[in-house]
Amino acid sequence: MEANPIVLDDTPGDVVVVVVEGEHDIYTAPTLRERLDEALERGGGIVVDLTAATFVDSSVLGALLDARRRALEASQGFVVCVGETVEPGVQRILDITGLVPVLPVLRHREEAIEAARTNGAAE
Amino acid sequence: MNPSPEVLLTMPARPEGVGVVRQALAGMADALDFEASVLADMKMAVTEACTNVVVHAYDSDAGMLEVEMLASEDGLTIVVRDHGTGIQPRPARSEPPALGLGLPLIAALSDAFELRGSAGRGTEVRMTFAYSRDGDPAEANPVTGNVGIDGRWDPDAPSDGSPAGG
Repeated sequence: MEANPIVLDDTPGDVVVVVVEGEHDIYTAPTLRERLDEALERGGGIVVDLTAATFVDSSVLGALLDARRRALEASQGFVVCVGETVEPGVQRILDITGLVPVLPVLRHREEAIEAARTNGAAE
Repeated sequence: MNPSPEVLLTMPARPEGVGVVRQALAGMADALDFEASVLADMKMAVTEACTNVVVHAYDSDAGMLEVEMLASEDGLTIVVRDHGTGIQPRPARSEPPALGLGLPLIAALSDAFELRGSAGRGTEVRMTFAYSRDGDPAEANPVTGNVGIDGRWDPDAPSDGSPAGG
């Protein structure tokens, strides 16, 4: 079993959720980029759910920012969610880089899915 | 008095090694009774320093990554070292371009930080984390800037908003 899985959840229909669990760094960033590519190819909104992530580094932020740029260029919604009780290994890097409003980052998956449905069309 | 704990890790400078360094660091910090928030900062800063070695230090996979952990009365000093060609701009190999946030993050997360290196003699990043912090080092050395249009970090770009708390 994969210790730090990254899987796609397409149950919301028009939005794909990229569910990221565990610790992620330069070793798993290529896998994250592949999953984000798959999500982008589906053409709808994208939510990256970091609720179960315990650690992300700047390699992960780079992958997220690249995907966000491509989503915006294609008028696809892009939103990150982190859950209610965010791990310090995730919250800290988002806070000190000021990327919360940029990505953007919301708390709950449901509100992120709703935002991803609409923010691509709003760009 | 017991001697100060000391750890030296040496491994090939490859992506899979960075998580191993974090695991060792977590064990060391646990033994030294660091607060969870300081441990989180340590793991982030050391990850960024090791990533710099993996991505920038060597032209091939042949190089080694060295990590030294030295406990003192005041805190834990972690040295991340390579024996590459020194600090210089280098296009990433097959990887996508790095974001360029590594050193700003290390400066923001550590209580003291020193970078040593010269052409042909490798690079050494020395970070110290205090057992007891007077304040948040990220306030003294904030990460400035924003992501630029090329996808790399632009330290001169205006921030889109204040960092969200809690």
